[in-house]
Amino acid sequence: MTTAESPTSDWLSKRQTYRHLMFGSVFGGVAVGLVLRFLDYPVVGEAVYWVGALAFFAVWKLSDVQLMDERDWELERRASLSALQIVGAVLVVSASASRLLTYLTEYTVPAFVWGALYGYIGLFIAFGLSYLWHRTRL
Amino acid sequence: MKNELDVYRSRDGLSQGELAEAVGVSRQTINAIERERYDPSLELAFKLAAQFDCTVEALFDPALDDSA
Repeated sequence: MTTAESPTSDWLSKRQTYRHLMFGSVFGGVAVGLVLRFLDYPVVGEAVYWVGALAFFAVWKLSDVQLMDERDWELERRASLSALQIVGAVLVVSASASRLLTYLTEYTVPAFVWGALYGYIGLFIAFGLSYLWHRTRL
Repeated sequence: MKNELDVYRSRDGLSQGELAEAVGVSRQTINAIERERYDPSLELAFKLAAQFDCTVEALFDPALDDSA
């Protein structure tokens, strides 16, 4: 039998540990940061937030095992596509409804709604630019 | 895609985790391939074939896939 290149025997458990550490850092940092802000320690909360974010990148870039395999990337691709489709549908309907409400009624659409819609538009612009960049390389 | 991965894995007495370690992916990835919910990349297909000392065609049969 031909043996493929064999990683260490505890590769899978190390991978799982590092993934828990990576995602735990960022989610823990955000959660603890929010709690500290709520408890009126905003600067400390911000510091904890950054520690969590930096720990995420440190584990991601410095760990000696591959934390994501091809199925993980495929899951991300599918999830990204679904999210973009949902956001796109929300944008198309909400933008039109907001304009119509403004034109046809006295209702004033709140500024945060327009902010969210422009944020969605920015997301699609970023997607388009990223797509064009990748198209030049593939 | 239809495949014989579980047959070859059982033949060699490997668990999904052991096979996953041998080819450098997660156990969930091997499970998804065996359940025909995920089609592996060419690179992984060749690694699996090398692991079992067979051809890719012996492991994977796209002709049997209804959606092909």
